[in-house]
Amino acid sequence: MHNIWLIAKREYLERIRTKSFLIATIVIPLIMAVLVFGSSFMASRVKSESHIAVVTVDETFATDLKKALETSQNSEMKVDIFTPSEAVRQSLDSQLKEKDGTLAGYLWVTPSATPGGLSTYAYKARSVGDIATKTTLQDAIQTVSTRERLLAHNLSPTDIDSLTTSIKLDTSASGNTRAAFFTAYLLFFLMYMVIMLYGMNTARSIIEEKTSRVFEVLLATIKPEELLAGKILGVGSVGLTQVGVWMLVTFIIANSSISGMVGGAGHAPVSIQQIGFFVLYFIFGFLIYSSMAAALGAMTNSEQELQQLNMLLVIPLIFCFAMLGVVIPAPDSTLARVVSLIPFCSPLLMNFRLSLTQVAPWEIWLSIGLMSVTIAAILWVSSRIYRVGILMYGKKPSLPEIFRWLKYS
Amino acid sequence: MPIVELHNIRKVYSSKVAVEGLTLSIEPGTMFGLLGPNGSGKTSSIRMMIGMTVPDSGSVSLFGKPFNRSLLHRIGYLPEERGLYKKMRVTDQLTFLGCLHGLTEAVARKRARDWCERLQIKEALPKKTEELSKGMQQKIQFIAALLHEPELIIMDEPFTGLDPVNAALLMETLMGLRNEGRTILFSTHRMDQVEKFCDSIALISRGRLVLSGSMRAIKSRYPRNRVQVAFTGNDSFLHGPDILETKNHPGGAELKLASEADAQKILAAAVAGGAVINRFEVHEPSLEEIFIEEVKKSFGETEAVEA
Repeated sequence: MHNIWLIAKREYLERIRTKSFLIATIVIPLIMAVLVFGSSFMASRVKSESHIAVVTVDETFATDLKKALETSQNSEMKVDIFTPSEAVRQSLDSQLKEKDGTLAGYLWVTPSATPGGLSTYAYKARSVGDIATKTTLQDAIQTVSTRERLLAHNLSPTDIDSLTTSIKLDTSASGNTRAAFFTAYLLFFLMYMVIMLYGMNTARSIIEEKTSRVFEVLLATIKPEELLAGKILGVGSVGLTQVGVWMLVTFIIANSSISGMVGGAGHAPVSIQQIGFFVLYFIFGFLIYSSMAAALGAMTNSEQELQQLNMLLVIPLIFCFAMLGVVIPAPDSTLARVVSLIPFCSPLLMNFRLSLTQVAPWEIWLSIGLMSVTIAAILWVSSRIYRVGILMYGKKPSLPEIFRWLKYS
Repeated sequence: MPIVELHNIRKVYSSKVAVEGLTLSIEPGTMFGLLGPNGSGKTSSIRMMIGMTVPDSGSVSLFGKPFNRSLLHRIGYLPEERGLYKKMRVTDQLTFLGCLHGLTEAVARKRARDWCERLQIKEALPKKTEELSKGMQQKIQFIAALLHEPELIIMDEPFTGLDPVNAALLMETLMGLRNEGRTILFSTHRMDQVEKFCDSIALISRGRLVLSGSMRAIKSRYPRNRVQVAFTGNDSFLHGPDILETKNHPGGAELKLASEADAQKILAAAVAGGAVINRFEVHEPSLEEIFIEEVKKSFGETEAVEA
């Protein structure tokens, strides 16, 4: 036990002192903060501010549309009105072609040939990618023309107002859903990142000892199992420290007054509960992936060789990404439940579901139980591969050789 | 009671036999040289002694007891290749390794400092290993093996990569430790060191023991049929019928004779022929010659068997 502690302590202290640890610890929360606030800020401020032109003979329609586009809730466009003529069309076309022109596009309204029929609306945009302007414009035309047609049916403006009042879906009871979803997504990525990073760090650290032959000195006093356990604990504690710092910072910022200013209504983007589960699932996820990585590290002789094998670690994680498509639309579906119980996916998917929906406690306990069993199994295999593999140099072991290592004790 | 006893150990790696039926014992308080050409199984044997690998058959005893990991605290080991953390500071590194051998941090730190002073590398203490020269790193490795004051010191090629001054310094240190009563086992190909310092040797080739015993006993098995002669003048005496081999060098020659008794005849012939003799020395073959001869013989035998 004492030896495991010594190995873990060394690993921890040496890693914590590196510059890269310091940089990652400081820079990543900064990026995260920018993403969290930036996105909620953007979400609250997305307004179309394009400059467009409306070409129509119908002056009332033109002014109504102008009013709708310039002063509505989510649009602050600048609208110019023209009456149709070939000269106007040419001038607008040439404006669209100007490199530094501000005109985003123009709407050409052709009145219907039959009285009472629908006019046709043609919109010519500078960029086909400017979907926001197009959508805003379409909504505005719809509202304005509906209103006009209702007026034509002799409804009073107050009646029209009451008829066309849009309803508001109140989601404040479950919090700001957009922000909550974004947070869940962010936590998913963060989990993927730290598990991958620290899993690989374990493998790298083993390879480093292998190439520098330090383990030969170490194995002359301690058992390979102690070395492996110390290494996983040491690297894992570094990861935990880093995650702890990040979570603390996120939590402080998320619950401070700044977030209230930009986040708007709803609860804080990250709750204590989420942080707790994140740390818990990080520990399990790290143990699963780092013990796999330890076996890979023991089998290979260099980082290059490790790169070739790390597909074995990446594939289950990629599978989790693919399963997001199942979990996001229906986090409580049977499929979502089953995949989030797969031990290799639990750290990512169960944790993701926990942020999105109410997960039954038995599911959490089951996932923890399954992960614990998996970790024990992987460690059993890894430590056997490790104790033999660490003394092998030169050639990469073949699969039958690895199976032989498992039997050797 | 021998401090290390290997009994008929055998180790086979997937395709190659590394050690075959090796039996040897090392007496306490001796300086023991393990010799053998490259790839002869020296490192494999040492690894089995310290339990890093397990022999396929045969037994290992340390300090008179069957091998047991708890005995490892009484052994200091220096591996063939340097094994140090590149980015770790020397003080921390030595303290860490000392603690792994059961020392407390304070004791480990103090001994590390004392040893660095003794080996004249005090300035290396605050540096990272990667900043040090190879020789310095080797000294650090050397210290790491000795910090916990082991009774048995096992060193796999301790002098490779050292300049003569530093090699001599480490050799002196080892001699000092032996005089304190420690047992030292080291492997090497440098015969001059072995010849001067070792009490006993074992020569292995192709995983088998070729020769073992005390230095004196081994030498006495060989006839005193070598002559070192330094002379000027007529060299016709070098072509006599009793001389099996002649190696000429400036101002003299090394001769291998058919029998011990021929030496006097050669000397008489040289004087009669008019050569001026500056030195004439009769001795047994050097360890290097024994080594080369025995290794050649071992390869020859196996080839004969295979053919």
